[in-house]
Amino acid sequence: MAFEVQSLWDVLVVMGLALAIAPWFGSYLGRVYMDRPVFGDAFWNPIESVVYRLLGTSPRHQMRAREYMLALLLVNGGVLVILFFWFFFQSTTPLNPLGIPNMGWDLAFHSASSFTTNTNFTHFTNESQLSLGSLMVAWPLALFLSPATGLAVLAAMVRGFVRKDGTLGNFYVDMTRSVTRLLLPLAVLGALVFVLLGVPETLSASVLAHPLTGGTQTIYLGPVASFQSISLLGSNGGGFYSANMASPIANPTALTNLWGIGLMLVFPFSAPFAFGEIVRRKNEAWPYVGTIVIVLAVALALFIGFQAATNPALSTVAGLGAQTNGYPVGIDTRFSLSEGSTFQVVSVYCNVGANNLQIGSISPIAQLDLLFGMFTQSTPGGVGTGFAMLLLFAILGIFVAGLMVGRTPEYLGKKIHTSHVKWAAMALIIHPATILLPFVIAVAGNFVVVDGSTIGATSHNFTSVLYEFTSESANNGSALSTGAFNDQTLFFNVAGALVMLVGRFVPILAMLMVADIFSTQEVLPAGVGTLKTASGTFTIYLTLFLIIVTALLFLPVMAMGPLAQIFGGM
Amino acid sequence: MSASSAISPPAPKEPVRASPAAPRRTHSSLQHLRATVVLLVLALLATGVVYPVLVTGIAELADSSVANGSILRDPNGTVIGSSLIAQNTSAPYLFWERPSMTDYNTTLGADTPPGPSDPALGALLNETIAYMDVAWNFSANHTLPYWLVAPSGSDLDPDLVPEAVLIQIPRVSEATADNSTLHFVSVIQLTDLVNSYITNPVIPYVGVTYVNVLQLDIKLLSLIGK
Repeated sequence: MAFEVQSLWDVLVVMGLALAIAPWFGSYLGRVYMDRPVFGDAFWNPIESVVYRLLGTSPRHQMRAREYMLALLLVNGGVLVILFFWFFFQSTTPLNPLGIPNMGWDLAFHSASSFTTNTNFTHFTNESQLSLGSLMVAWPLALFLSPATGLAVLAAMVRGFVRKDGTLGNFYVDMTRSVTRLLLPLAVLGALVFVLLGVPETLSASVLAHPLTGGTQTIYLGPVASFQSISLLGSNGGGFYSANMASPIANPTALTNLWGIGLMLVFPFSAPFAFGEIVRRKNEAWPYVGTIVIVLAVALALFIGFQAATNPALSTVAGLGAQTNGYPVGIDTRFSLSEGSTFQVVSVYCNVGANNLQIGSISPIAQLDLLFGMFTQSTPGGVGTGFAMLLLFAILGIFVAGLMVGRTPEYLGKKIHTSHVKWAAMALIIHPATILLPFVIAVAGNFVVVDGSTIGATSHNFTSVLYEFTSESANNGSALSTGAFNDQTLFFNVAGALVMLVGRFVPILAMLMVADIFSTQEVLPAGVGTLKTASGTFTIYLTLFLIIVTALLFLPVMAMGPLAQIFGGM
Repeated sequence: MSASSAISPPAPKEPVRASPAAPRRTHSSLQHLRATVVLLVLALLATGVVYPVLVTGIAELADSSVANGSILRDPNGTVIGSSLIAQNTSAPYLFWERPSMTDYNTTLGADTPPGPSDPALGALLNETIAYMDVAWNFSANHTLPYWLVAPSGSDLDPDLVPEAVLIQIPRVSEATADNSTLHFVSVIQLTDLVNSYITNPVIPYVGVTYVNVLQLDIKLLSLIGK
């Protein structure tokens, strides 16, 4: 199973198709949020107007940033509370045929925060700690509403560029339309294709099997296809099984794996085009698409390259056959190297966080590669918020470029002031802060317990703890290792939950506040000094700006974890 | 006022920044509360009830064996397992699956093997190789395929690359010869059997060439009469 270049063709076709439909789907996305006539109006408009009447709101009621944020916090807070009490009283909730017990308050808090914030980092083992009802009713509420929140934030932020009256939209209307027009129909389609390709979908919780060599084996089942479909589509990344998409039941064939890659890319690739549609300048989408494609391509090439190499640490194992594919440890047989790797890179870079291999077992450079994707969280990042973060990078980049040539920086005819930059910088700074602070507390406070003793000084353990907080702060949800240290503790549950909540809602606040300032500004005509943003030069500038800023923020900590592991061999 | 145009001020060279929009009416707290509660109730119904039930309904119509987990049964109707997941097949007369960090216990989920540069990984592989060498009567200087000794990602990987199955044939054949309660199966018969269970990619390079070990073992059991 040595790596062959030809084996890349299927993943390239899937990614190419996702990119090919992106201009069309992105335009649809933009039209949905701008209430421009779209396909499906005849069916959905009557239903939505009933929903609005029940909600007691109307699309005519437009909110400014503060009210929009309040509504967002109310709804997301509601999801958090529902999930918390569901898990806390799990043993008495409906649909619990296996008699799964309650979660402790700290684990319930961590899980509820994790799902609400689109992170889906789990500290439990699904099979023994989640009931069928939790998997079918409670968790999917967050699987739908958290990407819907991301899309609403993106819509509100981009509206700031085209409005002058200070309003950003109606949060309840945006949430409704996110679910009815986008998430629900696509999730149903995604789930049905999964079923056709061999993923189970049933309402019974388990089957008891009698294996060939005696004993018993419980085969856990349930609505797996519908769960995984919305989990991947909405950049959630939670797994129906604790093995997530490595599980042969959730991801049984190479085709389900390819379909998963496609689902994860639909929204992230389309977001720039939705932006182009909303601001009515379709060419402005391309620099973002270019940046995303460049970063993703480099990440993928590095990942596959280092996964195909041999593992020098195993050269001393006598009796081990040829390492033609260097890192099969922790990887299932049924995916080719390019298929398995592409799924993993796309998953982490789109902030989905599902895994189809054990991230702790892959090459240290591939681990670093994945960490980088979570550090930028915008190439392409999660549904809605990923592109909103990239817009913040662009605003900062244009500001810096403007300073360098001595012009007042402006974007899409709106001047960029210090106040924009303060909010954008805050969204960027909060990310390293919520990674490094809890990380230092965890290590210095001896909270990292491995096999009953506090942390051993290996770089791998160090990387595991770093990866945990990075994943939580970026609302990613992938985990480096389940065995490196015990994370089902009071400290990691509470610290992790707080990191996820801050890492989610502070950047969202910054995005809305930037939009708030833009939304009261007049549009200026472009002058001779205006930076041409729809250009190849700007694409390259934005890519380099993003990489340099990210490297500056995170290089020290990368040096201590993954880089030490690569060069020090610990 | 006909000459008013003559005294109108010149247009500003640059449009001035608009004054912030006038304060608009916001929803009251009660309206927000109602909207939030109703939205959550509707979403819970749509995503937690309608969505899974709708998909399950269509799935059952389409193909119920797939929808119910590809369950394998013996002739008496007892459930043996699922063709999708591995189980412990480490009897001497059966083909073995890939090692599992959780011993094929589905309740434990999946466990991460030691990190790539961790000495514990080499030790783990050494241990597995030594165990197989003894159990299979291999000479010490024999090499085993990497995929056969490496734990999988799910710990329930039901598949193996063909070379990792073919290398087990002499052991299986010997075990059927040693055990008087079993029908003897020759190396040639076993080679034919394994070859018939090799699955190649239907479309070139989509997936890999593999053998589903559980299905192979069920067929093997019927041959050796157990």
